[in-house]
Amino acid sequence: MDPNEREQYRAAIHGERDAFEMIIRTHSRALFAIAYGILQNREEAEDAVQDALVKAWKTRWRVHDPEKFPVWLATIARHRAHDIFRKRRTVPLSATIDEAIEPNSAAGTDAPELDQQLHSALAALPELHRAALTLRYFEEMDYRSIENILGLSNGALRGILGRALASMRKQLRPALASLD
Amino acid sequence: MATIHDEIDSWLAADIHGELSEDERSALHAHIVDCAACRKAHQENKVMNKMLEETLAQEKPDPAFEQRMLSGFRNRIPERSGLVKLLVDLMRLRAVQITAVTAILVGLVQMGRMITGENATPLRDRERYAQVEVAAPQPPESRPGQAGALARSGGVAAGRPQDLALEAPPAAPATRSKFHEEGKAAGTTVAPAKAAQPEARDVETLVVPENAAMGEEATQSPVESPAAALANRKLIRNATVELEIVSFDDAVQKITAFANEERGYVATTSSEKQANGKLKGEIVVKVLPENLDHFLQKLRGIGQLKNQTLGTEDVTKAYFDTDARLKNARVMEQRLIDMLKTKTGKVSDLLQVEKELGRVREEIEKMQGELKYWDSQVQFARVTISLAEKHMEEPASFLLKEHAQLALYASDVEKIYNEAKVLASPKVQITNAQLDRDYSGRVSARVSMLIAPEESETLISRVKGFGRVENFQSQTERIAQGGSGMSQNAKTKRDKVELNVTISREEQEQAFQQTSLRIRTSAVDEKAKELRSLTEKQNGRVRSSTFSRDPDGHEVANVSLRVPMKNYSALMQSLNALGRVEDVSVQRQDRIGGQIDEASAPADISIQVYSQGNIVSSDTGLVATLRRTLAQSAAAIMWSLRMIGVAVAFLAPWAIAVIFVVWIAKRIARARQ
Repeated sequence: MDPNEREQYRAAIHGERDAFEMIIRTHSRALFAIAYGILQNREEAEDAVQDALVKAWKTRWRVHDPEKFPVWLATIARHRAHDIFRKRRTVPLSATIDEAIEPNSAAGTDAPELDQQLHSALAALPELHRAALTLRYFEEMDYRSIENILGLSNGALRGILGRALASMRKQLRPALASLD
Repeated sequence: MATIHDEIDSWLAADIHGELSEDERSALHAHIVDCAACRKAHQENKVMNKMLEETLAQEKPDPAFEQRMLSGFRNRIPERSGLVKLLVDLMRLRAVQITAVTAILVGLVQMGRMITGENATPLRDRERYAQVEVAAPQPPESRPGQAGALARSGGVAAGRPQDLALEAPPAAPATRSKFHEEGKAAGTTVAPAKAAQPEARDVETLVVPENAAMGEEATQSPVESPAAALANRKLIRNATVELEIVSFDDAVQKITAFANEERGYVATTSSEKQANGKLKGEIVVKVLPENLDHFLQKLRGIGQLKNQTLGTEDVTKAYFDTDARLKNARVMEQRLIDMLKTKTGKVSDLLQVEKELGRVREEIEKMQGELKYWDSQVQFARVTISLAEKHMEEPASFLLKEHAQLALYASDVEKIYNEAKVLASPKVQITNAQLDRDYSGRVSARVSMLIAPEESETLISRVKGFGRVENFQSQTERIAQGGSGMSQNAKTKRDKVELNVTISREEQEQAFQQTSLRIRTSAVDEKAKELRSLTEKQNGRVRSSTFSRDPDGHEVANVSLRVPMKNYSALMQSLNALGRVEDVSVQRQDRIGGQIDEASAPADISIQVYSQGNIVSSDTGLVATLRRTLAQSAAAIMWSLRMIGVAVAFLAPWAIAVIFVVWIAKRIARARQ
């Protein structure tokens, strides 16, 4: 890890606000990507990131090793997103169903149809795969950084993304074929 | 290529995302060209990648996302201000953290100490032990040296001391030669000290076998061997011995014989006779240094050894210094003589030379004398023997001293005082006579006298007859003279008797018996007068009398009087004639230990003569009762009021404090909300 970066994490852990705000600037998009991977909803993902940042500031003293700070941050964001996801389940089904069905029925063209299929294919993926995909496609992060932030071992991401893409490919094969 | 085909998914993903190295990519592309299935997958992946990019690009956060996150964070966690921030910043410093932790630890330790009542001394104790431990290993260090010396002079223990001089310890020559070099070069004074240390150790080791062989007390001062008296060393040896002997003359004879045996001589003797006939004295004996120890051994046979010291003074350095200077001075002398012989130069110069020659010769003589003195000192060891016969402290005689104290009561102090003064005669000496009279008319006198022993008994009994004896004490002391303790032979003498007489007036005497009684009668005044005359008749005196009458016709007369004990019962009998005697109480003070004349001892009687007066009080009837009741109830109300006041005064501060605390708590709670 870059010594400057490390120093920044250390300062943030020791309660220096400037350092923490700098981390918000550099890391919140990645956190958003993770949260979105779970929630697949922008507003909710944003809330999750916001909550995660506040919680991280309040409990920053729990981190002993500055190196682990980004992974820890990601973990908090993931937990927060899970919490939100669970709460969403309790919302009366009818409302979400109406919302969910409406665009579906309204969409007459191919493109929205394909979009819909893509989304459902995404939704069918395991959470980790989805997070990796969002990090890659939102932030265009290289594999190394994604592995770092998700706490994966070196080289594991290649298999994960490969499997994710393959499973989506299988789901979308008919649509893709029609597109070709 | 089989591996690529098996893991085609991940290879394709990595390829799309540009994460393949150059080699890997060419390998993948080569495979795709070959494998139709993989080629199809690759095509599909490319399409899907594009779709994903397009679709997810819509979901990407907008550019203002970070700003939103930041402001949201700032809103939810406002920045701390002022003192709190300063404190937090301060606590972030490692030094401050360490200091705080240390302070807390120290505080806890102190608190623990206070609770357990332990103070800092145990620590100091531990330090002391540590020092002892450090110091302790030193003796073992020196022990090997001693053991070595013992081994070296193994045969010495049994042998005669003279042999030791020849069998000098190997260490000595080395130090000696070194010492000589330094001594000649007029070196530092450290050298003798260095040389002396190993030698002292050798001497000590040699003492051990001697003592062990003879079974002497371990505490005796070490006996030095003549090993030190080496030919080239100039040592002055001195010993002092203190002996307790039975007969002084015998001891002197024996010592002279011993001195002759050891080729020495008795230098001086002195003796002194004590008052109790015991002799003590001092003998100075000179013996050859090598015979000193043997001589000291013999001395112990004469009597009981009380004290012995043995000292050695090393004058080697001074001796050889003087010796060297003497040689130089001789050379100088020779040179000056040569100058005189050649007789060149002016007369004044020659005179100067002669003057110088004189000075040098004087110096030479002085140094020669010094050397001679040292030689004589070194040649013989000096033993100073203090002799004292046994029972030196026995007293020569005893003196009996008698002190007597006599306290007298007399009606006329001054008369007795003058009579006592007249007693003075060659056998009776008045050392002090004093008459005190204070403003209230109280008179007392004190006479001190010294009486010759044969007169004392008659005189003391005479003085006793002067008045009434209150107290007589006699004390005899036996004083030992010219020593202490007991003696069978000492004589006993009687010294003059010291007598202190104190004369006081009878009035001041405490009554032997005190009686108080009441007499009821109708004519109080008259009866009181009668009482007075009765007292006079019985040889007594009225000391005080009062008379009072109150408006009710109640009359009281208080009379206090004193009669001799022998007339007491007669007076008491006659009192019955005056009226009804009531409430008689008698108090008697027996004086223990004093020889008192009971018949003439004073008895005090205080009598209250009273009349009945009116019996009915004016304070009766309905009105008076009502008034009393009202007064009592008013008093009760006032009392309860006072109690309420006390209660309020007691509770008010607590109530105020509680109200204050509650008020503050409420304020805090409101501030929180």
